[in-house]
Amino acid sequence: MSDTLIKIRGMKFSRGERMIIDGIDMDIPRKGITAIMGPSGTGKTTLLKLIGGQLHPDAGSIEVDGQNVHKLKTSQLYALRKRMGMLFQSGALLTDLSVFENVAYPLREHTRLSEGLIRQLVLLKLNAVGLRGAAQLMPSELSGGMARRVAMARAISLDPMMIMYDEPFTGQDPISKGILVKLIRELNNVLDICSIVVSHDVSETLSIADYVYVISDGEIVGHGHPEDCKVSDSEWIRQFIDGLADGPVPFHYPAESVLDDLITGNTKS
Amino acid sequence: MMLLFDKLQSLGHSALTSLQRLGRGHVFLMQVLPAMEGMLFRPGLLIRQMYSVGVLTMLIIVVAGLFVGMVMALQSYYALVDFGAEDSVSVMVVLSLLRELGPVVTALLFAGRAGSALTAEIGLMKATEQLSGMEMMAVNPIERVIAPRFLAGFLSMPLLAAIFSAVGVMGGYLVAVELLGLDAGAFWSQAISNVDLYHDLGNGMIKSAVFGFVVVWIAVFEGYDCVPTSDGLGKATTRTVVHSSLAVLGLDFVLTALMFSE
Repeated sequence: MSDTLIKIRGMKFSRGERMIIDGIDMDIPRKGITAIMGPSGTGKTTLLKLIGGQLHPDAGSIEVDGQNVHKLKTSQLYALRKRMGMLFQSGALLTDLSVFENVAYPLREHTRLSEGLIRQLVLLKLNAVGLRGAAQLMPSELSGGMARRVAMARAISLDPMMIMYDEPFTGQDPISKGILVKLIRELNNVLDICSIVVSHDVSETLSIADYVYVISDGEIVGHGHPEDCKVSDSEWIRQFIDGLADGPVPFHYPAESVLDDLITGNTKS
Repeated sequence: MMLLFDKLQSLGHSALTSLQRLGRGHVFLMQVLPAMEGMLFRPGLLIRQMYSVGVLTMLIIVVAGLFVGMVMALQSYYALVDFGAEDSVSVMVVLSLLRELGPVVTALLFAGRAGSALTAEIGLMKATEQLSGMEMMAVNPIERVIAPRFLAGFLSMPLLAAIFSAVGVMGGYLVAVELLGLDAGAFWSQAISNVDLYHDLGNGMIKSAVFGFVVVWIAVFEGYDCVPTSDGLGKATTRTVVHSSLAVLGLDFVLTALMFSE
């Protein structure tokens, strides 16, 4: 069995005229935490949706566990997705179901387990994320951090081979961030799976990642171990890691010159 | 000249956008219809939606039906009494309700109450990534979310139209017999002798089934296809009510011409 779980080659994806991902190659190992970092709007979430087969690339290929995701039939794609877990930025919990039922949902859909066994599995998963006591709450009664932890429990309910985390730390208070960091690391260690964390929270992500890709403007601008990234002299990586306002990613959105825009008024707008 | 070209370009763009939307709507329908089969194995999903789409719409249907029947009786009485034909009030009330008002007004109310709610619910599920989440859990949202709502809406409409018409007739009876003092026996005998089961009741039911199909198709498609933002969701909900209402009124003309022409 290959050590590489996900192999991306020459992948391009655009929306209308705008190129979101411009021909990237990426290998994601079967075990460990791989972080995909980069500024907002650079195509990180799009990349996860491409890996999950929710979007189709314009060119290139994505192989997950040896299967070309975008050449699979719907039934084959769904079979593959049963082995993938995904944590959405919003949690994506089904709002008309309780916490318990949300975690039980994939089990009820894809297995014929007895009610007693489902109950035990769900409570075990909820216990792993520290929310066994919240089993009967509704999603509207949860904080943002709790919702993501429930979504984590749901993502691991079918014991997947990989979990994709889409911006897990965004909008979280320091305590929730700490809990999520701990959970992502511990779940990965205990389940011994592939975790892909898409994030722009530098310190949290670098503290748990085994390997890091930094993307900007749809291209990989650097990759390596977290320690290498911290001392990298690449101006792209430096701007991102140090949070510099200006650099390869410019402070100003592309526009006409100031002279044309403000003084002569000789612009299209 | 440039202005004219701009206008033409804008017109062409709108036409193309509308055609694309129409195409997407039909492709969507082709995905939804086969997914209905799943309801055979999961009747619970359908029953929950029947409650949400049908039962919760009943209050507005009953109240509206009652008042429409009462107004119909009054208007018919005022028109017929001059000719000494007030005994035919019940015929006017019953035929109007069964052939037109029952199916059409129910469909319009259904579009406003249940159609907009369906669009908003599905659109919000899309905006909060619940539909994407289901896809990533290897669950087809067309089967689990769309198909039960579609079927529930389609089945509910004829039942709601029947309730509307029945309550409307009762409202007409109250006004004609209890308020205006017409003879109860004449009221019912005139109604029964002038209503044909298949021609009037049957065609009314067919109309309401067609309206239900169209309204619920528009409602679930608009929700599924909406831009997942607050603005997009608002526009989709508005489109559901406007397009459904226009479709119902247009189809009503076509169906009436087909069904009741001599």
